[in-house]
Amino acid sequence: MALTRRQFLTLTGGATAAPIIFLACGVPAEELLVEAPLEMPEDLVSGLDNWYATLCRQCGTSEGVVVRVMEGRAKKVEGNLDYPVNMGKHSARCEGGLQDLYHPDRIKGPLLRSGERGTGQYEEVSWTDALGRLNLQLSQLQSSRNQNSMVLVTNPIGGHLGMIAETFASKFGGRYMPYEPVERTNLKAAIKQVFGQDRIPDFEIENANYVLSFGADFLNTWVSPTRYARGYGEFRQGDRERGTLVHVDSRFSMTGANADSWIHVKPGMEGILALSIAHVIIKDGLADPAAAQALTGGSNLEEFAPESVAAKTGVSAETIEQVAHDFASHKPAIALGGGSAGAHTNGLFNLTAIYSLNYLVGSVGQPGGVVFTPAPPLSEIANAPSSSSYQDWADLVNDMRSGDVGLMMVRGADPMHGLPGTLGFRDASYDVPVIVSFSNIMDDTTAMADIVLPEHNSFEDWGTDTPDAGPGYEIVGFQQPVVRPFFEGRGEHLGTRGFADILLAAAQGLSLDLGLAGETYKDILQGSAEKLFALNRGSVRAGDFKSFWNGMLQRGGWWDVNAKASGGVPAPQRLPEAEEPRFDPAIPGRFNFHLSPFSSTGIGEGQGAHIPWLQATPDPITSATWLTWVEINIRIAEDLDLREGDVVRVTSPRGSIEALAYPHPGIPPDVVAIPMGQGHVAGGRYAEGRGANVFSILSDLTDESTGALAWSATRVGIEKLDKWIRLPKFENSVPDPPEDEEGLVIEVTSDDS
Amino acid sequence: MAESWGMVIDLDKCTGCQACVVACQSENNIPINDEGLFNQRRAIEWIRIERYWEGEFPDVKARFIPILCQHCADAPCEPVCPVFATYHNNEGLNVQVYNRCIGTRFCANGCPYHVRFFNFWEPEWPDSLKNQLNPDVTVRSRGIMEKCTFCVQRIRRTGRKAAQAGIDKSDAELERGLNPACVNACPTQTLEFGDMIDVLTAVKEGTRLPDEPKSKAGAKVKKELEEDGGRGYRLREQLGTNPSVVYLRKVDEHRKEVVTHG
Repeated sequence: MALTRRQFLTLTGGATAAPIIFLACGVPAEELLVEAPLEMPEDLVSGLDNWYATLCRQCGTSEGVVVRVMEGRAKKVEGNLDYPVNMGKHSARCEGGLQDLYHPDRIKGPLLRSGERGTGQYEEVSWTDALGRLNLQLSQLQSSRNQNSMVLVTNPIGGHLGMIAETFASKFGGRYMPYEPVERTNLKAAIKQVFGQDRIPDFEIENANYVLSFGADFLNTWVSPTRYARGYGEFRQGDRERGTLVHVDSRFSMTGANADSWIHVKPGMEGILALSIAHVIIKDGLADPAAAQALTGGSNLEEFAPESVAAKTGVSAETIEQVAHDFASHKPAIALGGGSAGAHTNGLFNLTAIYSLNYLVGSVGQPGGVVFTPAPPLSEIANAPSSSSYQDWADLVNDMRSGDVGLMMVRGADPMHGLPGTLGFRDASYDVPVIVSFSNIMDDTTAMADIVLPEHNSFEDWGTDTPDAGPGYEIVGFQQPVVRPFFEGRGEHLGTRGFADILLAAAQGLSLDLGLAGETYKDILQGSAEKLFALNRGSVRAGDFKSFWNGMLQRGGWWDVNAKASGGVPAPQRLPEAEEPRFDPAIPGRFNFHLSPFSSTGIGEGQGAHIPWLQATPDPITSATWLTWVEINIRIAEDLDLREGDVVRVTSPRGSIEALAYPHPGIPPDVVAIPMGQGHVAGGRYAEGRGANVFSILSDLTDESTGALAWSATRVGIEKLDKWIRLPKFENSVPDPPEDEEGLVIEVTSDDS
Repeated sequence: MAESWGMVIDLDKCTGCQACVVACQSENNIPINDEGLFNQRRAIEWIRIERYWEGEFPDVKARFIPILCQHCADAPCEPVCPVFATYHNNEGLNVQVYNRCIGTRFCANGCPYHVRFFNFWEPEWPDSLKNQLNPDVTVRSRGIMEKCTFCVQRIRRTGRKAAQAGIDKSDAELERGLNPACVNACPTQTLEFGDMIDVLTAVKEGTRLPDEPKSKAGAKVKKELEEDGGRGYRLREQLGTNPSVVYLRKVDEHRKEVVTHG
């Protein structure tokens, strides 16, 4: 037998290792593997790992995750197989929680501003000192009977944390304002108006046959993308007939790229298009007659006939007819809308018209359609998380300017970055005597704070969540600390605390009775858990409370798949009056493009900008990372002599930013798109001074019916600057496959299999 | 022969969401791809999403394909390595032994899938971020070639657990631990992983596919290869690399003509 070099090495290696190993008797032959010379360090036993269930709080809708912990350090995040929202799957953003936990620029302990506001000069103080100062501020407001000038700003949080924040603000007598950069005001209002629901319903994509989405990039960033994507996998190639996805959008988004057809609509015309689809469905007798009667009052919406709206919407009459017929004949069918469709001055009308389509095809409350999530069986957290509208912020800025805001406390929100520049929130903040931040990263808002009380990372803290959108039945997700607080015991003044516990301590210091059952956050959660235990139904049941509590933490929460929304199908309401979008006045030759800002896959609207993994996550469509680019139609770019990486100035009537050109084959010629999330003035080494902030040039047009910001209604002009910067993108990092006849990379079949 | 690990990638499900990419970086201690690395075209992504354009506005399509090491049975990267740093192990994995690698980069030149990445720089993390590094995975130093391992550390760990419990490591109960990080993350379940020795051997030898494939992934491949109009294919199969990764074609009802790439 001829011996190859490889065999020789294997044999000699094995031969030397074997006698040594077998000296210790009882070692299984399997162990030989470990010492074999061809094995890598990966094969060595490195210790035991534990996986703890908790919630990911990196984006709006919490996902149930399990975190791998070794030697007291969190190593990996994976989806919690049991958790109904994401069922074992997780998004790129969830992993970011780890780098947030171990971020090199994390604030290690309480800080007190020592220089001018905004200069970033702080001194470390003790928790006693910092909490004392917070209490002093609060009690001064109390004694001057000026409690109303306290404003508590948080991200929209469900579960107990939101409840405690709201209770604290209301018992103190201040204002509670949940903030999100891409507000859901219009979405929530439309859901309320159409379905009478406070919570965003669940869309059962996995059982649907046809999904018609308007503006909502639901596979990428909109509301609950992991849940929708999981449904989408089943929708495409599950144990069922393949579903059809049609996406209507004024921008070529990731969802548009995955749709069977992407229908380009003129910005803000989504609602009128939806009415036209409704007209065809009703006219051709495909609609549920009772629903049609209730929605239209007997008219068949003749004024929205496809021929009449084709020019206005930019969608041909044949396409409208086709979509309407397919939508009505492939039941169960879902119509959903959001994102840019709701971000116009007629956003509420658009979304109301879109969601009303579900009644015409009988999808409301049906499997494979729009399913409602009931409130959780705990009265204290029964309210859905809310958020303030742009109009509320505009009012607040006026109050700030007139000195009516004495103390602003900010948690999990960065309004200095995300509110449109034209509002002047940053300038107005100089009129607020004291700003307190609970952030553990020096974000744009925290950089303006006087006192910083850094809170735990979500992996270090307790919590609950009632996801919005939920899974269609009662659920309370539980979040438990999976590692000890990272800065605990590391120095006299170091350490972080839970936000809820900070508020509870403050309330105690003020002798403010919040009326909560428990002294600490954990006590309060346990109190509520006892109520769930007493229900004796759902996913976790046990003989005694201790086993129930442990079982629930192990599974990541409590839910009852049988506790669905009661009350049947809500009656359809009359369709609203049609409304066309308004834009900034067009000045000929100056603002030729519609600006379509969009949430980034990795960094969202800026929440993940400090996390290097998320900064380096390529945008699905352009593969660009780390900087701000502007997507311009490839032909328009040719006309303007723009190559990729040419720096352009994007000017709106409210300001201008610089971004790198990305000539884009998919985007309509009259639209340019810019990702949100960059352009931080602070935010740590990975976020600071990077790219441009698209919020800073947004117009302040609002939907007057709700006060929501029309963030897709800005018009901009493009001007080429004499500068070129390489766009950091993954595309072309590896060579293109050769263009030979057989060099197929992606094969596509037209067979429906 | 023990196992032969393989993967099925259903392109009809892939949305291009990048969850697999970040999950892989978190699991495998991949250095932070900073701006400079992207600009130098030296960013490391063991699994990546390629995006291909078809057409132009308004008739435009963007298609996504996740590409990772194909763990070829006849891997072009293996015979060119002068130091046997890359070789095929008895579980069908194309393995990279870091402490043998001397960085000739011949393997990267040989790989038709461009899934091998060279460490041009010493990987650096700020001290605190090192707390997250996976102790089961070596941090590769400068001058070393690296690539997807099908998360061999998970296969090993699961193997030990299985041995303790006295069950087979392909047991469904251990699936989550066995799956590579990308597979567990993938929200649409585009990626499926499993022991495909029976199916892959049959495909390689051109014999009949097994009646009852060992794994779910194998069963899926069998279905898609046998059925009329089945969607299975392997990437650049004509090169004779015998990849262990099987792709399932994307379905496009509106496809007007046969599409290749670009």
